[in-house]
Amino acid sequence: MAILYKLIPHLLSWLGILLVLLRGFPVRRTVVTVTGISGFLLGVAGALLLFRAFQGATPFWIIKSSLGVGFLCLWGVSVATVYCSTGRGAMLLWGERFATGSLSAGAVTGITAIVAGAVSACKIPGADGNALAYMALVLSACALTGLAPLLEKLLPASFKVSPSGMLATLVALLLFSSSSILRLDLFSPLSMKVMKGIHDFVHQFMESILIPDHLFVRPVVWKYIGFLFGKEVGFWGGIVIWFTPAILIALAIHFERLPSVAHIRQGAQRRRLLAAAIRERRYRLFIPALALLIFAAAAYQSSFPSVEYWDPKPLPVTATPSGEIIIPKRGEVDLEDGKLHKYIFKQGEREARFFVLMNPAGELTVDLDACAICKPDGYGQAEGTVICYYCKTLIPLETVGKPGGCNPVPVPFAERGEGVVIDSMTLINSWGATVKATVRAKEGAK
Amino acid sequence: MSSAIIETNGLTRSYGDICALKPLDLLVPEGEWLSVMGHSGSGKSTLMNLVGGLDRPTSGTLRVGGEELLALNEDGLARFRREFVGIIFQQHHLVPYLTAVENVMMAQYFHSVPDEAEARHALERVGLGHRLKNRPGELSGGEQQRVCIARAIINSPKLLLGDEPTGNLDNKSTVMVMELLKELRAEERFTVIMVTHNQEVAAWGDRTIHLDDGVLVREDRLKVEGKAG
Repeated sequence: MAILYKLIPHLLSWLGILLVLLRGFPVRRTVVTVTGISGFLLGVAGALLLFRAFQGATPFWIIKSSLGVGFLCLWGVSVATVYCSTGRGAMLLWGERFATGSLSAGAVTGITAIVAGAVSACKIPGADGNALAYMALVLSACALTGLAPLLEKLLPASFKVSPSGMLATLVALLLFSSSSILRLDLFSPLSMKVMKGIHDFVHQFMESILIPDHLFVRPVVWKYIGFLFGKEVGFWGGIVIWFTPAILIALAIHFERLPSVAHIRQGAQRRRLLAAAIRERRYRLFIPALALLIFAAAAYQSSFPSVEYWDPKPLPVTATPSGEIIIPKRGEVDLEDGKLHKYIFKQGEREARFFVLMNPAGELTVDLDACAICKPDGYGQAEGTVICYYCKTLIPLETVGKPGGCNPVPVPFAERGEGVVIDSMTLINSWGATVKATVRAKEGAK
Repeated sequence: MSSAIIETNGLTRSYGDICALKPLDLLVPEGEWLSVMGHSGSGKSTLMNLVGGLDRPTSGTLRVGGEELLALNEDGLARFRREFVGIIFQQHHLVPYLTAVENVMMAQYFHSVPDEAEARHALERVGLGHRLKNRPGELSGGEQQRVCIARAIINSPKLLLGDEPTGNLDNKSTVMVMELLKELRAEERFTVIMVTHNQEVAAWGDRTIHLDDGVLVREDRLKVEGKAG
């Protein structure tokens, strides 16, 4: 039952996708219904095959890439729509012909349904042993596919769907569906890329080239420069990229040229035609507006995920007189249970947070609870990944213990007997160096 | 004879126990100017309200411009009034804080979209080209009624209803308004139904019907086209 509850957003997205497609291709209802359910089942089966064929993050990467491609297509279409709104008749005709063909109806429905099915399947943990959950997903999707044509008839006739508006809503619904799955979420990585892009630009351009040792930049100025390093800038930059396609489509519709009525002699008739065109244009704005709302919901779900992270309170540890921190593998906690175990070591006024984790390959790793880039907000664990709380980057468990990017900074250690041995000075110095490098830049933003 | 724009069969309207209009059979050909006369309470305005879609009959059939008004819902009636009927009232009902041209544009707005150039042209046609920016309070009674006419014809109605349109006007203004209506009717070819107490005003029509206590009691067909003054 719990898994059915978790599938609700995905099933709602699927129903929304069907309604939009049925209204978008009103004379291709059979094509949409049959291709829709076939594609969805194919997507679920394809995801299962991917999980069986590949280990680790690869299946997620493939599905996430298809979502990314969809979002890029939406960007392209939104720019083309703006171009068309300037009155390029040939492109408009092409778009209309494309929008009404049965091949295009089948293609758009099929691709959307495959991705929707694959995304929904990703919500069910484990490819094996969850046959009932998969069955429930498939049956629910079939029932909704049968229900959708009936519901679509209840929608008001004024609910018009233009080709670009349809694409915007479909992509928005797919991204909403994927945003509840950490490893498929696109918004947080997008925000992170914006933040890191700005970070790299500021760092490379200003710090390294122009003002290498900050001779001319006082701390107060760094406060403002530091703002550019903050995750808030990444968030708002991400929001701009996230919403722009739907906004462009809405603007293109809003500023679309009205039909020429100059040849109509009677004023009232002329105005009536104009009013009808304006009304029809206004109704078509509903779909991009709906897409904007769904994009907003996806961004919210991504920023405030309903995932419960495994994030234990750091256990205090001490060093032996020889400066070694020894943590037993099976003491208070079992270090080999695949979970992240956090510790805190204090030496005078200095302290260091770190964690011990056994990766899926069965190797123990010891890492700082911080990375070399972000503020040391620490990590949590969920859905086969550890997540950086600051930038929301997901790090697959397979790569934990390897340095670079937002990965936790590895700490040298040794396995001796039944324990893990870490040199306290190395740990403290590593923490100090990492935190000093990252906090300085982020202070202005926080 | 041209086809009927208005056709009623046994049309009645009652308000509780009071029967304002008793079963009425009436045929109005397209393009006719029909004057409706009668004493106060004879059912003139009731008939006009029914024909204009402002009220619903109690029984009978009422077909206007090919549409059975009883079969229309509220939205259908609103569309009918918006696109088919123009009404001129005795009390003008102009918006006092809008200029003459804005009052005309308001009718365009509720019909479809406003078009200032067209509204200006309509006012010029009724001889108010120099009063476009004046508010109703700055216009004489005759000028206000001419704004009402411009407002009534701006959406090219097939049927123009007048409920005592000259009731508040002096003789000179009455003649001016009636001549204007005659000219516009010749150009636009709309049907006119004019409710009036005034025999001279009624004489401008092609036909006059007399109502008394909700009953059609007499019908005069004018042999000579209406004249006045």
